[in-house]
Amino acid sequence: MSFALHGVGLTHANGFRALCDISLRAAPGERIALIGPSGAGKTSLLSVLGTALAPTGGLAEVLGFDQNFRSTVAFKALRARIGSIHQAPPIPGRQRVVTAVLAGKLGQWPAWKSLASLIYPIDVAGARAALERVDLADKLFARCDQLSGGQLQRVGIARVLYQQPELILADEPVSALDPALALATVRLLIADAEARGATLVASLHAVDLAIGNFSRIVGVKGGCIAFDLPASEVTVPLLHELYAGEGGELPVQAHEPHFLSQAAANGAATRAACC
Amino acid sequence: MLLNPADRDPAARGRLIGALATLVILWPLFQAADVKPSALFDGGNLKVITNFLVGFLPPETGAEFLGYLGKATLETLAIATAGLVLAFLLAVPLAYLASGAGRETPTLNPVTRALLTILRGIPELVWALIFVRVFGLGPAAGVLALGLTYGGMLAKVYAEILESVDAAPANALRHNGAGRPLAILYGLLPQASKELASYSVYRWECAIRASVVMGFVGAGGLGQLMDQAMKMLNGGEAATILLTFMVLVFSADGLSGWLRRALDTPPAARPSPFGWRSGLVGAAIVVGSVASFRLLDIGFGALFSGEAARSIGEFVAEFFPPDLSADWLERVGKGVWETLAISVVGTLLAAVAGLLLALPRWRAPFSFLLNTLRSVPELVWATITALAVGLGPFAGSLALALHTTGVLGRLYAEALDNAPPAPGQALRVAGAPGGLAFLYGTLPGAAPQLIAYTLYRWEMNIRMAAILGFVGAGGLGQLLYFELSLFHHAQASTVIIAMLLLSIAVDQASAWLRRAMG
Repeated sequence: MSFALHGVGLTHANGFRALCDISLRAAPGERIALIGPSGAGKTSLLSVLGTALAPTGGLAEVLGFDQNFRSTVAFKALRARIGSIHQAPPIPGRQRVVTAVLAGKLGQWPAWKSLASLIYPIDVAGARAALERVDLADKLFARCDQLSGGQLQRVGIARVLYQQPELILADEPVSALDPALALATVRLLIADAEARGATLVASLHAVDLAIGNFSRIVGVKGGCIAFDLPASEVTVPLLHELYAGEGGELPVQAHEPHFLSQAAANGAATRAACC
Repeated sequence: MLLNPADRDPAARGRLIGALATLVILWPLFQAADVKPSALFDGGNLKVITNFLVGFLPPETGAEFLGYLGKATLETLAIATAGLVLAFLLAVPLAYLASGAGRETPTLNPVTRALLTILRGIPELVWALIFVRVFGLGPAAGVLALGLTYGGMLAKVYAEILESVDAAPANALRHNGAGRPLAILYGLLPQASKELASYSVYRWECAIRASVVMGFVGAGGLGQLMDQAMKMLNGGEAATILLTFMVLVFSADGLSGWLRRALDTPPAARPSPFGWRSGLVGAAIVVGSVASFRLLDIGFGALFSGEAARSIGEFVAEFFPPDLSADWLERVGKGVWETLAISVVGTLLAAVAGLLLALPRWRAPFSFLLNTLRSVPELVWATITALAVGLGPFAGSLALALHTTGVLGRLYAEALDNAPPAPGQALRVAGAPGGLAFLYGTLPGAAPQLIAYTLYRWEMNIRMAAILGFVGAGGLGQLLYFELSLFHHAQASTVIIAMLLLSIAVDQASAWLRRAMG
């Protein structure tokens, strides 16, 4: 078993119930797509699986760990086995691509190696190989703020490819890519997971991308699981019910919103300039 | 006008009350600061200062004096550099402990934060004065004083800069199993490096000014030379020393700009992130630090020997318990009030003058004036303003105002440059005169920044106002200087505690005002 959620609930500090009574299991090597309207709880579900958020109810087991019990050493080791791809890649703009990719292994490397890698990148070949798979090998030594939104998203994917985690959690991993590249990238993730026997859970905005590539589809709505079916059994009426209230049209690739990278606000500037 | 309630400006009452309250608070402060512009034009004072300023020309260029000057300049640079190295070594672990950066659940660390407040709250000159008593005259006192105060300041600002950048990269790394130190190094440092580096260089520039000032209490360097020149009313020597300050501060400024640009250069296509510039800077820092410590020849072994520890212990013990008698508290209270008055009046005068000098159309010839005002430390200005208006708080306010005008004028000019240009341009296109377009279009955009700068500067100035009294400019400093000279340590201790509390209170007031006016 890769992960198992038993009646997991998540209530935020402000009282908002993001997840209610979710039960979901996955065997190692399974490839699951999460679909559902925005605000349904897809990101919350991925955050619980990724140990970023602790469930406020129920029991979450990930890679054999009972998450509700957090011991630091074992917990870190667990986290090193989980790779996350984020919709807005959490990579500092002034960092170089090679460093951003190598950062995927920080949880696995001994501290001296991570420190040394800041002075001279330890594994240039490894980073290049990961970047080649997302067609960005030429950007190896560029700085991340020189990349476009789509390129940066692919750097985030290269980081996870380099990390080689047992569980890949992807939150809208291709939202900034054009349809052709999005399809290729989703297939790349699936192929990588398949080759290593890793579990892949991806939330996707585009329904056609999910059904066309993933074997198992989980529909999420209002913090609950609406359906959990093999892709072949997902019907159009089922989808219309899932997306009811979104204007009657199903979100497909052509409707993908464009990704906008946002500059980090810097409030320290005032302080630093003055004192 | 008042006929129709619907037509009345709902903000008017609040504005009126605010203006009245400001007047009610400021009036007694101006009284306490003894503001009397007429003193500037008093016949006797005018003669003294004119004679002194006339003596500035020609600046002293005798070979013997230049020899002293060179040695003192090197010593000042070395004190600043060694002090900043010490401060940096202190600040990095403290900032790591105090900062919420890289923590998954934000926690404040009250013990470290309190330690930082104490380190920052006591001005470096007071530390220097105390260390001079313990370690004797010489640069060791200056270096240690700088290390402690600047360690506290650097730690606080490092912690805040790391907290202010986007936390997502560090959080993502932690979720993939990285520890907090690595998450900060890989996730936050790349975003914050430019800010951290330029703040550190800026602090080094401040340390140069501070080490000049500490010479006044016997910690060596240019300050000691300036003190002697002022006591002998030797204008020529004073002029040469002032010119040297300016050259030092301008060079530090240029260096800081170069470093900022260097950090902006995109990296070359090679594995190593370090190029010739990084190598050069790294080598310069190492060589500079080592050379500084060697030049000053501080026997750290002797400083940390058992005997030194005992004498420090005895010395510190004399400060306890502080003198809390009603008499003394009353005098300290008066000193606190006077210090507050000096800081407020100095900052306000500087804000007005700085804004006038920063106004767009006047800027070009005035930027040199601003830099000149800024490059001379407050305490040195105080020795000059004391000649111009006589000893007392007014001299302190003027000195503070002169230096702060330089700082604020520059910051204001930058803020006005960075304010969105569209509103002002639109008004000008619509036919508004330039001045009005500025008031209606440009100023509102820049105002929050201007207010923030002014209030931050006030926080700095309260610390400075507390020590201006060392050269006779009134306030708590004067009390402290007397009591320490008379070895009345219990009384001095009360004054130091008062300085600390005052600086904390002003920090709080300033933070509150920033929130209220932002």
